[in-house]
Amino acid sequence: MPKCTINGKEIEVKDGSTVIEAMHDQGIHVAHYCWHPGLSVAGVCRLCMVDIEGMPRVQIACNTTVTEGMKINNTSQKVKDAVKWGLDFHLINHPLDCPICDQAGECGLQDQYMEFGKYDPEMAEKKVKKHKVMDLGPTVVLDSERCILCSRCVRFTKEVSQSNELGIFNRGDHSEISTFDGQKLDNNYSLNTVDICPVGALTSKDFRFRQRAWYLKEGNSICNGCSTGCNIKTYFNKEGFFRVKPVYNKEVNGHWMCDDGRDLYKFVNRDHRYLKASHRQESGWSQILPGAAAKEVSTHVKAGGEELALVLTGQYTTEEYEKIIGIFTKDLKTKNIFHWVNNKESFEAFDNLLIRGDKNPNTKGLLQVFEKNQISKTWADLETSLKAGAIKTVVVAGPENLKFYKDLDAKVQLFSQAKKVIWLQTAKHPALEKLPINSWIIPMKSFVEKEGSFVNYKGLSQKMNKVTTIVSEALTLAEAAELMAGHQISIKPDTHILTDADRPLDQVMSEHRKKNEFVFKRGTV
Amino acid sequence: MEIKLLSEHYSNPKFCELAGYEAFGGYKVLKTALTMQPQQIIDEVKASGLRGRGGAGFPTGVKWGFLPKNGEPRYLLCNADEGEPGTCKDRVMMEKAPHQLIEGMIISGFAVGSKKGYIYVRGEYFHVIAILEQAILEAYKAGFLGKNILGTGVDFDLDVYSGAGAYICGEETALISSLEGKKGQPKLKPPFPAVQGYLRKPTIVNNVETLAAVVPILRDGAAAYKKYGTEKSAGTKFFSLSGNIVKPGNYEVPLAYPLKDMIYKLGGGLRPGRKLKAVIPGGSSAPVLTAAEAEVATLDYECMAGMGTMLGSGAIIVIDDSQCMVDMLAVLTHFYSHESCGQCTPCREGTGWLNKIVHSILEGRGRLQDIDLLVKVADNMKGRTICALSDAAALPVLSFVTKFRDEFEFYVREGRSKVKGASHAQMHH
Amino acid sequence: MSVVQRDGETRKWYLLGVLGGLWITGHHLIKNLFNRKQMITLNYPEEKYEYSPRFKGNHVLTVKKDGSLRCTACMLCATNCPAECIRIVASEHEDPSVEKFPISYEIDMLRCVFCGFCEEACPVDAIRLGPEWQVPGLCGDNFIYGIDRLAYRPQLKGGIQSFVDDEERHKAGI
Repeated sequence: MPKCTINGKEIEVKDGSTVIEAMHDQGIHVAHYCWHPGLSVAGVCRLCMVDIEGMPRVQIACNTTVTEGMKINNTSQKVKDAVKWGLDFHLINHPLDCPICDQAGECGLQDQYMEFGKYDPEMAEKKVKKHKVMDLGPTVVLDSERCILCSRCVRFTKEVSQSNELGIFNRGDHSEISTFDGQKLDNNYSLNTVDICPVGALTSKDFRFRQRAWYLKEGNSICNGCSTGCNIKTYFNKEGFFRVKPVYNKEVNGHWMCDDGRDLYKFVNRDHRYLKASHRQESGWSQILPGAAAKEVSTHVKAGGEELALVLTGQYTTEEYEKIIGIFTKDLKTKNIFHWVNNKESFEAFDNLLIRGDKNPNTKGLLQVFEKNQISKTWADLETSLKAGAIKTVVVAGPENLKFYKDLDAKVQLFSQAKKVIWLQTAKHPALEKLPINSWIIPMKSFVEKEGSFVNYKGLSQKMNKVTTIVSEALTLAEAAELMAGHQISIKPDTHILTDADRPLDQVMSEHRKKNEFVFKRGTV
Repeated sequence: MEIKLLSEHYSNPKFCELAGYEAFGGYKVLKTALTMQPQQIIDEVKASGLRGRGGAGFPTGVKWGFLPKNGEPRYLLCNADEGEPGTCKDRVMMEKAPHQLIEGMIISGFAVGSKKGYIYVRGEYFHVIAILEQAILEAYKAGFLGKNILGTGVDFDLDVYSGAGAYICGEETALISSLEGKKGQPKLKPPFPAVQGYLRKPTIVNNVETLAAVVPILRDGAAAYKKYGTEKSAGTKFFSLSGNIVKPGNYEVPLAYPLKDMIYKLGGGLRPGRKLKAVIPGGSSAPVLTAAEAEVATLDYECMAGMGTMLGSGAIIVIDDSQCMVDMLAVLTHFYSHESCGQCTPCREGTGWLNKIVHSILEGRGRLQDIDLLVKVADNMKGRTICALSDAAALPVLSFVTKFRDEFEFYVREGRSKVKGASHAQMHH
Repeated sequence: MSVVQRDGETRKWYLLGVLGGLWITGHHLIKNLFNRKQMITLNYPEEKYEYSPRFKGNHVLTVKKDGSLRCTACMLCATNCPAECIRIVASEHEDPSVEKFPISYEIDMLRCVFCGFCEEACPVDAIRLGPEWQVPGLCGDNFIYGIDRLAYRPQLKGGIQSFVDDEERHKAGI
């Protein structure tokens, strides 16, 4: 554990750590572009300059290992000049097309110019022209002019995804990032290159031009795409969710997440959601408020007894499972609780990085609660009792993320053998329209709208906080369980709501106004 | 006066063949060297004071001593990627005496414990590659290369590798990258090549002249070699004389030879009626010397460093008073912006920027503040990158602008050359 | 606005104030009756006032030489707008040199305070406040101007070109 002095403060650092790591751990901000804690050291941006006592020239912090008694300083004029000029070199051929660049607002060049630069540019020559709007693959667009050639993306495809699609071609100031001949940047982790790009050179096709970065709020959550449970940051505003980025967690996902996980914000948005509960009667579907629907079904549920069954998928939080299983076993006196597993055969699949075969975020959590409550019924039991007509009422906590539940039609048919089906569901699916007479669809809150915890594949329980509310009437599984059991609950009104119904009546309700909602209410998101 | 330690028999056309080489005592040194202890050879080279002839002038024996002492496989690379503008000594050495280099490499390989060597030859020297390959074939047939050399149990294999013409591949880590089959870009140091080089194994990279000089050192002994030159700059060295001079060519002289004599005695002086204006003493990367400085300079590492320039690869470019320094600098800045590998930002962007500024002055669009800007940009490129190319690009700019500022100012004000009287467009049409 | 409270006895004698006011009104009435040329009111709408060219009236979106919108949908005007009356929906243009353009650009004129911040924020001279100021309309919807109205209304005769030319900008290396 060598000791060193950084900006006059003596600290102890881990063996073999570099100066930039030591400064990073101390919370000292060092200008840098090419260094990334999850990648190898390239040392090409030449910005992380530090003054080390005894060395005549400034050194890069990313490739200098801390040695005993080293005296490091990054506040001297020499360092400041070096960083200032380093930035100037980065910017002389940068097109400065911030107005049409998606990265504007979260761009490394903008940030570091404001922090370390603030000089008057002296470049009066023509800039180098390179390719713009290059299609790299199904997910990423490249703008070579904006690129500062930090080589983070190249190192990512080489070291992390190990797919080696990207390289730097040509020499000198004509160098460009590109894919090798005939290859596309097409791997399961390609969008990480967009995250690590410190400038707007790599942009995500999905997010491209949809929002400016400064219109988005951030909220941390846990990805519900698979049992890895990557830590994520969601970006949203009043129009809904726009993108997802990974958050560093050494225990779970490191710095990265997969491209599939980034798509999951989509089903959370209003367009894909059940906003009202539906009840199918002889006359067809009718809509009611979710809370009222849950109360309505409580008579059937309470009367169920041994004829009542509960089907759970691994996509809800542990707290919700505890609540609903508690209520069903204690208050409703049924042990007919089943685990709906979608693709058991590929549960163990793993791509050696992040993606796991179990596409439910909380299978482990569900099984733990099952064990605690001594529930041991198998899926075969459910099928036989449904066939025999022993089960008359089924409550189904349907999957939130439908992407990997391909057999929903078959399952709807299976549950239709019961007389009453109460389907708790977040995202819309056409198969649910085929539910029999006397069934209800009750909208549920999605994973970003509630607090709780997910237990990932290795038994690590991760707590997540509520990000925002999108469908305020929707219920959590716990609330639905209480209401179905006939309990009285009070749901606190939420200040973050996205519904038209909550708007004061005197406002103009024209189509234009509805579209303008985002701008009008921007300040209050 | 020339001292022909290495180039003694260069005039003999047979010297490039094995028979001819052996006739003049070739491969005799190898036979004695293989009976010595490797450490003895290293000590001898250390004692001779031989310094790297490629440009940096690092003591060769010390460099060999950096290798780890364990039995890990290691490589000996010969840097024959002679790309420095003005330099042409290695080419002549390989053309005239390939066996000298091969002998030097076998001895050096034995000394550092390497069983495999490569000669990385500049891509444009394709005829040299043919000569080297022929010579290596002869050496294999004669048992000087391969397994169990001359029955001593020493193994050494040698191969020629052709570069593709990139200047940067003359930098040792870029050369290693290129040899590994990657893009020829310098690698971050540390780790140094002596610890982790070619294929991540300890590697020694030496210039052609350095490796060849091992032969006379072991033949005559370190003391005899040290007789030439000064205490710190010992031995003889090839100098490639070019530019506005009557007799350009390669000359082998002892170090600390006066630059004045080099130009006027060996080089035959300038053309009639011309006056010396400047001398670039060590290849295009070395800061330029004014005529007054050239008068007193001696060709050794210390004197050159004292004058703020360097001996470099020993390429002396003589500039007389008919040359426009702005025009000259434009050639250099274009060269470096074309040859920058593009890895480090200050060099990638800085070389291009310098080139654009100098060209805008040439094209009559220059502003007076551009001259100061040149200095500022060059100052901030220096010492900020992985390899020395950024310095190599910045140093000529700094020395040209500071030493010949009046020419630059005249060009900016008048839009034409002070020396030639014509503008760039007029000169080139 | 501040209200000045004068204390003292004269406060109670408001008739004096009324008479003073009447005197000013009468003075102007008589002056205008006998000197109609210098009267400062207009017979609107028959007569119209000439505003200065810097007048900040209804917005105009400028166009390029080929008639397409200059706006790049950077949303700086919307961000800068204190009244939050601008709404832009950006999209990807077929021409890669244009890259980004607005498929919808709407200004709610009733919310607009005509401060001109949008004009100042615009990096490409795409929006200007023009000379028009009479804005008739029958309902709220009429006051939400889209691209058709902002850039191509008949009064503009095919749109107003901005001073900056793309080709010149490219030639200058910008």
